[in-house]
Amino acid sequence: MSNHTFAARTRRFALDNGITLLVLENRVNPTVSLAGYLRAGAFFNPQGKEGLASVTTSMLNKGTAKRSKLEIADALESTGARVGVSSNTFTSSINGQSLSKDLPLIISTLAEELREPTFPAEELEKLKQRIVASIREDLDDTRSRAYERMSQLIFPQHSPFYRISAEALIQQVEQLTADDIRGFHQQYFGAPGMILTLVGDVDADEVRALIERELGSWQGAVAPQIDVAETPLQAAPHREIVAMKDKANCDVILAHASRLRRLNPDYLAAMIANRALGQSTLSSRLGLKVRDEMGLTYGINSSFSESGIADGPFTISVTVAQQNIDLAIDTTLELVREYRTDGIRPDELQDEQSSVTGSFKIGLATNGGMAGQIASAELFGLGVGYLDEYPSLIRALTKDEIDAAIRKYLHPDVMTAVIAGTVD
Amino acid sequence: MFTKITEYEGITEYKLDANDLKVLLAPRRAAPVVAFMVVYRVGSRNEAVGHTGSTHLLEHMLFKGTPTYNKQNGTQVAAVLQKQGAVFNADTWFDRTRYYEMLPNDQLELAIHLEADRMRNSFIADSDRQSEMTVVRNELERGENDPARILDERVWALAFREHPYHHPTIGWRSDVEGVPTERLKEFYDTYYHPNNATAVLVGDFDEQTALDLIAKHFGGHPRSPQPIPPMYTTEPQQEGEIRFKLRRSGQLGVVEIGWHIPEARHPDTPVLTVLDHVLSAGVTARLYQALVETQLAVDEHASSSQFIDPGLFTIDATLNQGVAHETVEQAIYAVLDQLRTEDVTDAELAKAKNLILTQMIYLRDSPFGVVNAIGEAEAIADWKFYVDLPKQVEAVTAADIRRVINTYFTEDNRTVGYFIPKEEQL
Repeated sequence: MSNHTFAARTRRFALDNGITLLVLENRVNPTVSLAGYLRAGAFFNPQGKEGLASVTTSMLNKGTAKRSKLEIADALESTGARVGVSSNTFTSSINGQSLSKDLPLIISTLAEELREPTFPAEELEKLKQRIVASIREDLDDTRSRAYERMSQLIFPQHSPFYRISAEALIQQVEQLTADDIRGFHQQYFGAPGMILTLVGDVDADEVRALIERELGSWQGAVAPQIDVAETPLQAAPHREIVAMKDKANCDVILAHASRLRRLNPDYLAAMIANRALGQSTLSSRLGLKVRDEMGLTYGINSSFSESGIADGPFTISVTVAQQNIDLAIDTTLELVREYRTDGIRPDELQDEQSSVTGSFKIGLATNGGMAGQIASAELFGLGVGYLDEYPSLIRALTKDEIDAAIRKYLHPDVMTAVIAGTVD
Repeated sequence: MFTKITEYEGITEYKLDANDLKVLLAPRRAAPVVAFMVVYRVGSRNEAVGHTGSTHLLEHMLFKGTPTYNKQNGTQVAAVLQKQGAVFNADTWFDRTRYYEMLPNDQLELAIHLEADRMRNSFIADSDRQSEMTVVRNELERGENDPARILDERVWALAFREHPYHHPTIGWRSDVEGVPTERLKEFYDTYYHPNNATAVLVGDFDEQTALDLIAKHFGGHPRSPQPIPPMYTTEPQQEGEIRFKLRRSGQLGVVEIGWHIPEARHPDTPVLTVLDHVLSAGVTARLYQALVETQLAVDEHASSSQFIDPGLFTIDATLNQGVAHETVEQAIYAVLDQLRTEDVTDAELAKAKNLILTQMIYLRDSPFGVVNAIGEAEAIADWKFYVDLPKQVEAVTAADIRRVINTYFTEDNRTVGYFIPKEEQL
């Protein structure tokens, strides 16, 4: 029994340079998935240089001391393998997948990109142009316009969750130089604190030797401490419209500061509280009323979308035709009030407990799913054993705990509503 | 109870004797989960003016309940699946409608029972249709917000004048709003029968147990009382280039070009599949190099459609600011023209084939990947299409690529659409 646990099946290696390597052998398909984290994200963007973390990670595969962008791409594309680094709010994610026989290729590519990127100026110009174009496309997207404005209304300007306007972002991205990128890479990318997880048809000792060979002598930057103050809850409700042309559908976001982080002791209770309220458009409270019964929307969801290292927003998103905006918002808020008053129903709690444990099992059915979960447990210091305990932690939650989380984390009367679309 | 039809590459095909339900089993014991899918051979291809979008609206109605699974007794379809943590949904496309769930394997009977039940016992009530119509209308409006998507719909609508690939699967707005419940019910009673469906099961299950459960729950449904009506409309050959412009507010221009190509079963399908990879899979692909690397466009896609009937090969590109639509259109033709006379390199060919083959291996990581691939193959041709395509791809040569370029990518056979953001003057 015990050798079937994740704790027993996963080998954990602490490399001398600070890399934590986790390997789980799963030999059903000749593939391997890679997931991991570097402690470098948008949080570290200097004032006036928004987009720097993202541009830096996107530049990693644009040329190294050994090879050009095309040579790197050609080697990966020829084998159908992929490996990449992308930035998040506080971290950068590493992701990859290959046939097991091509694992040395993706690891050497990753090592080369992390250790010896050259950030060629002409590639930077091309990349900036593409990023600017994609920000421009977002300007035309109701959902992203609503989210951007919401973030500005809920979070103070220095918060990692505050998004500057698309126009300002374009301006700052356009001014980024190769020196900015080089500086950011030197200051934040390094082995200490890096997490690498591999799951698939591999031998753990061979993987360890491979990682030692490719990344064992890398030092780089030491991961800085992340210290973010909690964002206080809003004091009063607020409503704003982001006017756009020719949009048949409006995106509405209702939000407030969540004050919820991944390591809060009541995190799991809050997660269950949210699931019963609005995680599924088809079966949660909000969806059953606003979509299924009233037919107002194709999609309504609630989420603690960035409750990780720090506390992001609690959001409820709903898409709706303009004549239904008020009805959708009023109904939604009324449902949240009712939920606060009555709490979760015992049958809802039971259903959500079974749902979470079932979907956890399904999520762990693939190499990629396992690699992601193991890396995430390591990032938050929960350890691989957490994956074994998780179902029983979920089953142990009580109605009182969920109701307390509802009252602590859901505040319908101070929500900010942002409506993006064509509103006459 | 079942007739075993064939066994091929780890997949076994059965026919349920009672009603001709086609059953495909692909055991895969990597993790204690199963993925179950029922594919109905009905899609927007089976619709005409007045009831476009009905197949999709009907798909929504199949979540509204049966005498066994319903909201009143707390066993609504979505709720019972959600309770198991299932990944589930349904979707409609030109040729098919499919319903699926991936869930822990101790819940296999739930999946089979629920799908068998809604195959024949769904309410399709008028009150449900009214509230669901507005849900679908919002889905349609969400799609309308995206200019590139609308441009693509218009390319198909103009390239197909007579064949029902002319209209989008979501339907024309007034049809979605106006279609009576009786028409949906008629659709349901015409097409939702075991002899018009394939049930696909992939994952960790015991074969005999699975067959017994399928027989127990699907076996009671008789064959359709009438033969399933064939769709016989064909698209005549296009006689000359079609061009159009779509103007509305937006940020970046888009060019999309579509050429008629044959049906999925045609021997040129593997060649077109390789071509679409040569043109657009990755940074080293030809269109990326010609359009994105040169900063004419910010992205590009090539897509070789695979449908029951002849479809389109489309290429689209989102323009960089200040670049003229004509410039990008001509750059696309230049890439194709080069392939009319020069062979693709061996390395390019090998890369494209490798990508297609490794994608097939990756999708086996998840039971859902496999169920999805088998289900789609069933919808457009036959499940063996999924197994055989990689082998056929292996045989594609540079001469094949040159031949299909010269056969299909002609001026008379193309439809060209420009999305022009309103602020911009052209």
